[in-house]
Amino acid sequence: MENNPKNSRREFIRKGSRISLLLTLGAVGGFSARNITHEKYVWQIDPFKCTQCGRCATSCVMTPSAVKCLHAYDLCGYCDLCGGYLKPDPNKLSTAAENQLCPTSAIQRKYIEEPYFEYVINEDLCIGCAKCVKGCTSFGNGSLHLQIIHRICLNCNECSIARLCPSDAISRVRASKPYLVKGSFTNDAKG
Amino acid sequence: MFQHRILNIAFYSISLVAIVALLWWLMRDPTSKFTESLPGLDKRGVADTVSENVDIGKIFETNNLIYKEMTESWSRFRGNDYDNISKSQVKLKEKFGPKGPDIRWSIPLGEGHSGAAIYKGLVYVLDYNEKEKADLLRCISLSDGKELWKRGYHVTIKRNHGMSRTIPVITEKYIVTMGPRCHVMCLDRLTGNFRWGLDVAREYSSEIPFWYTGQCPLIDNDVAVIATGGKKALIIGISCETGKKLWETPNPEGWKMSHSSIMPFNFGSRKMYVYSAIGGLAGIAADGPDVGKVLWKTAAWNHSVVAPSPVCMPDGKIFITAGYGAGAMLLQLKGNGSNFTINVLQQYLPRFGLACEQQTPVYWEGHLFAILPKDAGSLRNQFVCVDPSDCKKIVWSSGQSTRFGLGPYFIADNKFFILDDEGTLTIAKPSVAKYIQLDRVKVIKDGADAWAPMAIANGYLVLRDSKTMICINMNI
Repeated sequence: MENNPKNSRREFIRKGSRISLLLTLGAVGGFSARNITHEKYVWQIDPFKCTQCGRCATSCVMTPSAVKCLHAYDLCGYCDLCGGYLKPDPNKLSTAAENQLCPTSAIQRKYIEEPYFEYVINEDLCIGCAKCVKGCTSFGNGSLHLQIIHRICLNCNECSIARLCPSDAISRVRASKPYLVKGSFTNDAKG
Repeated sequence: MFQHRILNIAFYSISLVAIVALLWWLMRDPTSKFTESLPGLDKRGVADTVSENVDIGKIFETNNLIYKEMTESWSRFRGNDYDNISKSQVKLKEKFGPKGPDIRWSIPLGEGHSGAAIYKGLVYVLDYNEKEKADLLRCISLSDGKELWKRGYHVTIKRNHGMSRTIPVITEKYIVTMGPRCHVMCLDRLTGNFRWGLDVAREYSSEIPFWYTGQCPLIDNDVAVIATGGKKALIIGISCETGKKLWETPNPEGWKMSHSSIMPFNFGSRKMYVYSAIGGLAGIAADGPDVGKVLWKTAAWNHSVVAPSPVCMPDGKIFITAGYGAGAMLLQLKGNGSNFTINVLQQYLPRFGLACEQQTPVYWEGHLFAILPKDAGSLRNQFVCVDPSDCKKIVWSSGQSTRFGLGPYFIADNKFFILDDEGTLTIAKPSVAKYIQLDRVKVIKDGADAWAPMAIANGYLVLRDSKTMICINMNI
């Protein structure tokens, strides 16, 4: 067989290209598989550790804060005198601003039937100050609680509220279970 | 010339823009996009508490009339002497030991917080049966937990942090109960025979307190003493024998009924009833020709929810407290006969001193003992002791690692028995120097909301959580 240096060089380049392509494809596939299987983490508040200090409202890099109040309806007593909605020792049990605990009126109170009232959080108005959570925890069933909302959170490498949290209530949780919601609808929570 | 004109044009243009901007700024309403929070946005309905016709005493079922008669009683809310201190000489365990508590019986109850009264071997509890939709006074044998009879009436109660709330009052002859919606029922103690009933909300236009009434009725010299609140009266006295109203206290200020119970108090040569209403605190003559007359009152104590009862001390000090951020007040009563004055000595928020949300503090050895509420700062849920000369100064607390909840506490055989929300019973040695814990044991499996006051007689301790009542043999 005649040795053709031109064919040999072409063959070498062709083989080299194929090998490079295969290596690249393998690397891309490997990275993709890693990204699919590798568990990511996000920041979240443990509502049972939270002491409602109020720093979530002011220390988050987002304005307003990525921390919002969530309501575990299955824990709520649907009370007329709601410690999360009304200021302590209110003059009247009404929706008047002077009786509301929330500084932004982010909680809507709806009459259902005597003696039950439903409390709905307006997430756009909530600033994560935890005043309602403190009231609900002190005088009620603790159905109101704070969570970091992941469609707002930037997931900073060093979470500024986690750094300042006095009760170490904020930690990284698996992104596949990004919420630590009280009550039985935990798995249905969406960010 | 041209340059001068350019300058003029520029000057007038800037001035015009500035004036327009100023006018726009002045006329603009920065709150135009705000939504006003006004009363009535919740579209609250009108509560209907009186249209249901309740045939009080209609239901009666008897099972068995055999029981072991005993000698002792815990005949009402806060015991025989209204102080939550048992004077029995029966020696009680201070530790449960490796075998744990000797639970004699356990019975299911409707969801609620009604506690037991005990009279000579019989336990009386006003239960709410959700299936039958009925308030039922159940008479149970203390020794074995078997039900002897039950008497009651059909009434609709919606679950609202439980349904039942109150403790019956028992004398040798009578029983008086007060249901969640203020239905008063008087029976013969032993047989359960119906004597009379009274729908307080209907007859006295009373407003039923949030989460239903927690007022435990009182019998004083065969007279049932009931706080009605409302437009017609503040307190009434009814003959247990006949059901006839004997006297009533006018209520011109329209003070409302609270969860608090009426406390008898002897001071300044007078026997009086001290009542903490929604609106104020009052002392009502309890005997003599002016029975029912207001001896003194003050509106300085006025909060929307009041559950604990007044603690009246021998030197005329009265301690009153409430939850939901109200805190507490210490008052000084002076005077005698029919001339009394009441002055506020201390008033403070719960984080600044002794306060309670549901239970009434215990006065022992010149000191007050109570569990602080959740909004009491770093001392929240701790058992504390104060000297009533300064209720803001905590003498001792149970410590960060020993917290409780909204549950009851009382003294028997020189021991404090303290129950937490989850049904864990703590035994502590009463002391004005420090907290001395003797034992702490879970006595109700999966307990929740164990808030009802406890009762003890002949060494048998009766307590409950929201759904189960148990009897523990505490005898040594």
